[in-house]
Amino acid sequence: MASCRPIWASISLLLCSKLFAVEPFRTFTASAGQAFTARVLSYEGQTFYLEAKDKKLYPVPYNQLSSSDQSYLRELSQKGKLPIGDPRKLSSKESPKENGEEVSTSESSMDEPENIPQDGPRLKAPPKKKIKLRKGSFFAYRPIKLGQDPNLAVEAKESGMPVEGQPIDFSNHVLPILEDRCFSCHQEPYDKNGRTIQPKAGLALNTYELVMKGNLDNTVVTAGDVADSYLHEVLTLDEDDDMFMPPKGGPLKPEQVDIIKRWIEEGAKLSAGGATVADASNGISFHDHIFPIIEDRCLDCHGEPYVKNGRTIHPKAGLALDSYEAVLKGNLDGEIIDRGDHEESTLFVVITLDPDDSEIMPPKGDPLTAEEIELFKQWIDEGAKEYPSDNFDKPKEDKVAVALTSVADAKVPLVDLLGKRLSKPSKTQIEVASKTGALVTPLSVKHNMIRAEFSSGPNLIEDDAVRALSGIQNNISHLDLSRTKVTNSAIGNVSKMKHLTWLGLRNTEINDQAVKKIKNLQFLRYLNLSGTKVTDGAIKDLTQMKDLEEIYLWNSKISEKGVESLRSALPNTKVVF
Amino acid sequence: MKSDLKNLDELSRREFVASAAKACLGVGLLPMAGSYVHTPAQALQPGTRPAKARHLIYLYMSAGMSHMDTFAPNTDADKDSYQGPVSPISTSADGVFLSENLPETAKHMHNAAIIRTMMTSQGAHMQGTYLMHTSYQMRGTISHPTFGSWISKMSGPINSTIPMNVAINGRIGSSGFLESKYGPLPIGNPNAGLANSKAADYLDQTRFDGRLAMAQKMNASFLGTYDQKQVRAYTDLYNDAVKLMRSEDLKAFDVASEPDAMKDLYGRSAFGQGCLLARRLVENKVRYIEVNRGGWDTHSNNFEAVANNCADLDKGLSALLLDLEMRGLLEDTMIVLVSEFGRTPRINGGNGRDHWPYGFSAFLAGGGVKGGTVYGKMDKVGRNPVEGKFVDPAGLNATIGYNMGLPLNDVQYSPSGRPFKVAHDGEPLLDVLV
Repeated sequence: MASCRPIWASISLLLCSKLFAVEPFRTFTASAGQAFTARVLSYEGQTFYLEAKDKKLYPVPYNQLSSSDQSYLRELSQKGKLPIGDPRKLSSKESPKENGEEVSTSESSMDEPENIPQDGPRLKAPPKKKIKLRKGSFFAYRPIKLGQDPNLAVEAKESGMPVEGQPIDFSNHVLPILEDRCFSCHQEPYDKNGRTIQPKAGLALNTYELVMKGNLDNTVVTAGDVADSYLHEVLTLDEDDDMFMPPKGGPLKPEQVDIIKRWIEEGAKLSAGGATVADASNGISFHDHIFPIIEDRCLDCHGEPYVKNGRTIHPKAGLALDSYEAVLKGNLDGEIIDRGDHEESTLFVVITLDPDDSEIMPPKGDPLTAEEIELFKQWIDEGAKEYPSDNFDKPKEDKVAVALTSVADAKVPLVDLLGKRLSKPSKTQIEVASKTGALVTPLSVKHNMIRAEFSSGPNLIEDDAVRALSGIQNNISHLDLSRTKVTNSAIGNVSKMKHLTWLGLRNTEINDQAVKKIKNLQFLRYLNLSGTKVTDGAIKDLTQMKDLEEIYLWNSKISEKGVESLRSALPNTKVVF
Repeated sequence: MKSDLKNLDELSRREFVASAAKACLGVGLLPMAGSYVHTPAQALQPGTRPAKARHLIYLYMSAGMSHMDTFAPNTDADKDSYQGPVSPISTSADGVFLSENLPETAKHMHNAAIIRTMMTSQGAHMQGTYLMHTSYQMRGTISHPTFGSWISKMSGPINSTIPMNVAINGRIGSSGFLESKYGPLPIGNPNAGLANSKAADYLDQTRFDGRLAMAQKMNASFLGTYDQKQVRAYTDLYNDAVKLMRSEDLKAFDVASEPDAMKDLYGRSAFGQGCLLARRLVENKVRYIEVNRGGWDTHSNNFEAVANNCADLDKGLSALLLDLEMRGLLEDTMIVLVSEFGRTPRINGGNGRDHWPYGFSAFLAGGGVKGGTVYGKMDKVGRNPVEGKFVDPAGLNATIGYNMGLPLNDVQYSPSGRPFKVAHDGEPLLDVLV
């Protein structure tokens, strides 16, 4: 670094010929302690260009400087007194100010997270046409997987075409097509001549998340189901059709349509094979996987305290997330990580809330992606390790036993207890279950237990409808099959719904065989068999269901005598006959 | 004329298509036909509280039921000039007494609760009825939605094929400023089933399909040119109407298919059969069913008239409670019986009772209701509570809404931007809920 010199109070101020005054020389101190005299010329990103007295140029990272230097530089940049860009390049330009305008708004606010416009329309122009790089250019370099023919791979990359036998990758193969043919109409809101341009049909296709989200009408992509994917459908319509896409510029090439088709068939994944950002095969660690996400999305509000305009800005909710220790420590409300149990971890809960929930984190911008959430989940479940090599002994507990012992005090409803440890069924699972006419609704906002019922046209419901529920069978707490056409064989599927607490079989054709199948449902509390073909032969099995609270047998084939014996065997059960 | 003009203003495209369908196809669409056009899977989001009951049967005693001769016999009151000849009887709940006019209902008191300190600010039938149904006072500037419309709006349908709000024996109020699909579907006569839901006799299957096909053919070119959601919704409307016409769910309205023993259990009165229909509709997962029973305006000859009315009421109500319990539906269903106001505790010159807005009764039963409870007690002249506080219509509706898991603080705006809540600012009375 430059030599150490005293500060000269009066240095002749040179006036710049253009827009910017040249800043005076002053002593800058690095955070490590070295000091040197220099003046600041410009900045670019987080780097400030300092000129020493000997006209030598030093690009210095912002965070290498002492805090007084930082505030000095910040003030200058915020007031717009500094040009942006490398001074060596700037000198050749006519008007650096104009060039820097757009950048300066975002750069100068690096310490003011509140100002970063993350909500509402993204005020940016549509992306420029892609720069075509000369063949063989260094910048056209793209990594190629081992074992592939490099020539073929390069050709594929350049044409945006996947290599034969290689899975489709959203960013490399699908996005370029969308960018080329769809973005002009279907892109996130942007500002044009002071007007916000909204995407047509409310459908933006900029990112993977947006493509999967679809618009208000529906999703446009159903993973694995081309026939159900509107995105593919509109590309393959008759060219005269009004819904045919793209409306201008002719149809997509058959091979491009094929890419989209294959991508959907392969499961519409973000990256080929569905791999996550960092290699997670050795387990998730805070440093490799979690902190990058936190740094990107949380530290604006949950960083370490800093000084702004003379006031100390503390992290929101008293929660800092800037180090492993801080994350584990939590805040005054308690810890936010329950090692080994993501559902008990507040951190996981707040990032998985409904996007409309006022408590969701991050409060601004898009919610975390499914992959990022999955990383958090894995990381917590693996014991929230700092490094992959750390050990964590997962506390072993029998979940069912916990539920059962807590039922005894009966203060917490059974359903809440059971539901606490279940994860949310996916949208696809619910769609599959609903396809056969089931109305699937969550029972509470507190947990993920579900009620499944066949309310519209139950006379059309047959055994396959119950089979369709198997994807969400662990989440079903209430199942109403009343008045449907289900038979004993469907009850086999019902017996696998191990968290069932409420079962309505009223006015169905089931008989004693069905009761035999459900007698092992240990959490069943309500059983409605009125109007069924159940006879006294089922009494033996019913008496084993000691935890039943209510059982309805009116209009069944059970005799008065049978009910008497049931009542004496189950004294705490309300038997309605 | 004025109201006709108003209707013209409100004639939406859907209603227009409905009339058109009626004319072209010989079928009348239900007034609610729009309810399932929008989204088949309207998300039934759970509230912050789980709902204790999913269905509401609202038994409305129109014209002011005499509370002292039904649900609130006053043993402190003077026998000759106040309580009259009706004596209290004990019930299945310890320490709870009903009037001798309700012997069958008394057997179900362990499943029911009574609020005996209801109070309304309205002493006239129309205004009182309006206030009881909407929680808001009648105003010239706005039409408030009935409580049933609020429930339909906020809870959504469980059965998407049939309407979610049904009014039996006459309809009171409307969906107000909410969309008309939430309003009540009126059933004038419970035995007649659903009017206009069948194809005309002269229209056999082939001809019906032919007409439908022709209508679709005529639509085709328009649909081809403007293939938009709203245009497609027209076709959906036809399809949904046809779906309902051929639906098994329509049998829910067919009280005639009940066995005679069941009809006799409920009583062959309009109210009894209305209760029977209400039970059938609950089985088919209709959200809100209101059954009306008029004839309570007993300004003269009160005791005879009330005893007559109670014969129907007692039979229908007790049968409903029994039947729902036997079928295992009672814990999902809330039953509310109320009137716009009570009648004077003091017997008038014509051996009758006049309008009295203080300390009348509301009867609640079923899912979420704390069985065998009585809230409040009136003094011997029936003017002020000696136990408990007055509960206004908004408070009663808030209690019901709370039990059904409705978001009581959710504000809905009328088209002119005025804020309204499901139960106004009523405080739920938690004493009568589990």
